[in-house]
Amino acid sequence: MPLILTALLTLLSHYRRHPGQLAMLLLGLWVAGALWSGVQAINASARDSYDRAEALFTTGLDRLERRDGEPLDRADFVSLRRAGLPVSPLLEGQVVTQEGERLTVIGIDPLTLPGDSAFASAGSRGELTAFFTPPWQTRLAPDTAPRLGLARRAAPGAEPTLADGRRLPPLVLAPALPPDTLVVDIAVAARLLERGNAVSRLVTAAGALETAPEGYRLGRADTLVDPGELTASFHLNLTAMALLALIVGLFIVQSALGLALEQRLGLLRTLRALGVPGRTLVALLALELALLGVIGALAGIASGVWLARALLPDVAATLQSLYGAAVGTELRLPWHYWLGGLGVTLSGLFVAGSGILWRAARLGVLGLGQAQAWRAGFQRQLRGQAIAGTLAALLALAMWAWLATQPAGEGLLAGFVLVGAMMLACALWLSPLLAAGLSGLGRLARHRPLTQWALADLQLQLPRLSLAMMALLIALSANLGVGSMVGGFRLTFLDWLDQRLTADLYLRPPAGQFDAVQAWLVARDEVAELLPTADAESTLLEVQAGDDPRGLAVPMTLFGITPGARLTPTWPLLETRAGREAAWRALEEGEAFINEQLALGQGIGPGDRLVLRSPGGQQRVTVAAIYPDYGNPRGEVLLATAALRERFAAAPGSLGIVLADTGPPGERQAEALSPALTRALDARFGLGRDALRDQRDVKALSTEIFERTFAITRALNALTLAVAALALLASLLAQARERRRRLAPLWALGVTRGRLAAIQLAQLGGAALVTGLAAVPLGIAITVCLVAVINVAAFGWRLPLHVFPGEIGLTLATALGVALLAAALPALTLWRTPPRTLLAEEEAS
Amino acid sequence: MLEFRQVHKAYATPQGPLEVLAGVDLTLDAGESLALMGESGSGKSTLLHLAAGLDLPDRGEVRVAGRAISSLGEAGRARLRRETLGLVFQQFHLVPSLSVLDNLRLQARLAGREDSSWTAELLERLGLAGLARRYPEQLSGGQQQRLAIGRALAPRPALLLADEPTGNLDEGTADEVLDLLLALVRDTGCALLMVTHSPRVAAPLDRRLHLTHGRLTRPEAGQDACP
Repeated sequence: MPLILTALLTLLSHYRRHPGQLAMLLLGLWVAGALWSGVQAINASARDSYDRAEALFTTGLDRLERRDGEPLDRADFVSLRRAGLPVSPLLEGQVVTQEGERLTVIGIDPLTLPGDSAFASAGSRGELTAFFTPPWQTRLAPDTAPRLGLARRAAPGAEPTLADGRRLPPLVLAPALPPDTLVVDIAVAARLLERGNAVSRLVTAAGALETAPEGYRLGRADTLVDPGELTASFHLNLTAMALLALIVGLFIVQSALGLALEQRLGLLRTLRALGVPGRTLVALLALELALLGVIGALAGIASGVWLARALLPDVAATLQSLYGAAVGTELRLPWHYWLGGLGVTLSGLFVAGSGILWRAARLGVLGLGQAQAWRAGFQRQLRGQAIAGTLAALLALAMWAWLATQPAGEGLLAGFVLVGAMMLACALWLSPLLAAGLSGLGRLARHRPLTQWALADLQLQLPRLSLAMMALLIALSANLGVGSMVGGFRLTFLDWLDQRLTADLYLRPPAGQFDAVQAWLVARDEVAELLPTADAESTLLEVQAGDDPRGLAVPMTLFGITPGARLTPTWPLLETRAGREAAWRALEEGEAFINEQLALGQGIGPGDRLVLRSPGGQQRVTVAAIYPDYGNPRGEVLLATAALRERFAAAPGSLGIVLADTGPPGERQAEALSPALTRALDARFGLGRDALRDQRDVKALSTEIFERTFAITRALNALTLAVAALALLASLLAQARERRRRLAPLWALGVTRGRLAAIQLAQLGGAALVTGLAAVPLGIAITVCLVAVINVAAFGWRLPLHVFPGEIGLTLATALGVALLAAALPALTLWRTPPRTLLAEEEAS
Repeated sequence: MLEFRQVHKAYATPQGPLEVLAGVDLTLDAGESLALMGESGSGKSTLLHLAAGLDLPDRGEVRVAGRAISSLGEAGRARLRRETLGLVFQQFHLVPSLSVLDNLRLQARLAGREDSSWTAELLERLGLAGLARRYPEQLSGGQQQRLAIGRALAPRPALLLADEPTGNLDEGTADEVLDLLLALVRDTGCALLMVTHSPRVAAPLDRRLHLTHGRLTRPEAGQDACP
């Protein structure tokens, strides 16, 4: 025991003299752990929300709808029950709290609801009778209570008042319920939502009915996509980003471990000579790893939870806007999350440290302490890296070839493997290429001794720098790739907004006044054109491509637009049956456009015929074109507004107002005409002062949602880059003293200190610039993979490729900036160090 | 205490195997001191490494305190070094991250034989009493070597192996360190095998042997004398 304790304390004493290395090690672990566990915490919380949603009523149950498309009501329920069918009614809607928060209300009939679904597990175990008899109950998850302005503890038994003055029945907490959802008896829901006898859905246990009853259509549970499935790609994206951060963090760790071990080779030799067995030493180094790992991982997990708390609201907004999935904004972490975070960080640490331990175990006692013995292995390592890099490149090629044979939208995982293999290949090849380049340049510079020395010296530093350079390359290229993708998406999205929001002003009159307002506006001189919209919900029942009909049951949105002089020239179309003009004519004649999501998801192309459910039965439309629809989680069919209202009894939506060119010169039409028009509308129809919305406000709101959507991507990306920059900075600073010692003989030979400082700057700046330059093509390749493969598979739409010279410049500037900063600090010290001290340091070493 | 019987050791070189020890026989009794002399590259350090169990002979037998080195595993040889031997190197090999006091008691602690009164006495006799909290890099070369000697003797080893212990020191400091080393060896009663190329350093020891062409010989008259 004294042997182990003394040897361990002696090994650890190294960090007392080199706290910078310890800080670098812990920093790497901390950052890797923080980003990884932060994202896992977000994923775990989201999964918890999905599980709670799935445990409710939305999935896992078959559903009945009327064949004639009419809404369901209580009479349907009664007649089906009388026919002996085990159906149960659900009523869904939204209420607004006094705090202005929107909450979903689900009304159920607990007596008829299938027993093994929902209520038994999702609700509390309270008496059922209390639920459906006065004063009734409102069941809700504890994290929903604050949305009602109540503390969790104060929630049970409270009867909060809604914005319209109605009171909710006494609250009962039910942790298994999804966030922002209130579950009440269906009679209470009908009263709260003022829906009379309406029923939103009739559900039955999955498989309970073999066929649909006469007059009804049966939707099977397995045709409904649950939110967990829908958002899997988003979480995979997040996990990939976190994995990247973990790898970059572990690069720092490995770099710090390598440095710490190299500097302790002499110590290891001494301890072996003093009688500490080699195996004991390796075991002690492993124990040291574990101790540092636990400290770093715990700090990482704690910070990760903090990070997740900070990012979760944005993630929830993203999931809501991209997929329509409700995710609570409060972290709910299962017990295995904590163990998982610790396990992953420690496993990563041991993977990073295993190479070091292996090399330490293999070095003979007589070779220990000789730096050359350590570096001799570097040549072998370079060869190994080149081979591994080639294998990774081959894997990337194989993935690319395989993906090329797959239909669009397939191969999300393969896309990630492709990106990972490309990054790995480039990172592995970086050091061999740098070494070869330096060697070649050294030969070219043989008549310039100082340059030759600088190149040779940099080659000598490569073993210690290579890991940090690899980490920087990965982070820079990922940053460039993701940055270009997000930037490209932003450009495309803004462009698309410009194209779609063509009217100057927008107005959303109540349905009852819509036609009157439209007629009034048409007669106004300042109005040049009106663009009314309409929307409806429908189900895609069948797709006919040629003579081959396919039966489906895909819920989707129908949207009506008004083709006209303002809209048609700018509205983007991705694919048409017979050209752009023909497509617009076809739309006016009753054909349809479909969005890219629907086209890719269901394999529909121009010319195919769709059968859609309508209130009057079924409607057939032909697809004339496909249009981009960024950010929409659902399939959408576009029709002319008039046709949509007529054939699908669609509710009127908004009125786009294109203003006539009559305003004063130099002033925006909307700003000039909007106040008068608002006053006139208010006076005529009582629409209120906020009825008219400027196109610019709508765009600003959409842009804000977009920015929020990518907030987490940007945050993780920036953090990863910061980590890599820190890794390089820490690596370079850790070696600063040693590099300074090597400069002493040059000073003695007559090189000025200014020149020596310049050499240092040139060495490191050059190496970082090469790394940055290598990151540029890799980053562009990553962007191509993201927009052409991963985004299509993850979100269902394709983006045009954009490359931003500014991003590339920033990438290079970051690489160069970090290296120059890291070189400048030691260079400054060198500048100030008396030359004699340099020689004394050299002699002491 | 130490016995070499027909020990052979060769190293692979690009020109073929180079035999540095060619049937070495050597015996060192308890309490005895022996100087091993020879030119650079004559194999002195190799012999010392074999005696310390840091390396194994190709042929022949090395016995330390009655135990054959070759019959011990790596852990057994480490235990032998820890509990029976003390090593002093030309380059000191102190632990830079430990203080003077911690360096001094390092091996005694590893062997589980720390004796605080002996450590205090050593600190005093080595002239390091006022420097206990300093670090090796803050000491002069002579002080560092004195510390290395103290570290080797702190667990009271049965055999002290010293590889050119004064090779890095100037003449005056070397004499001072050597006197101290011999005095401490006498007081602890341990045997001493010292590798040196200097006849002057070898002179005070009980016996002197010369390693030439892989074999041990007695130094010829004049070689043995102090300059």
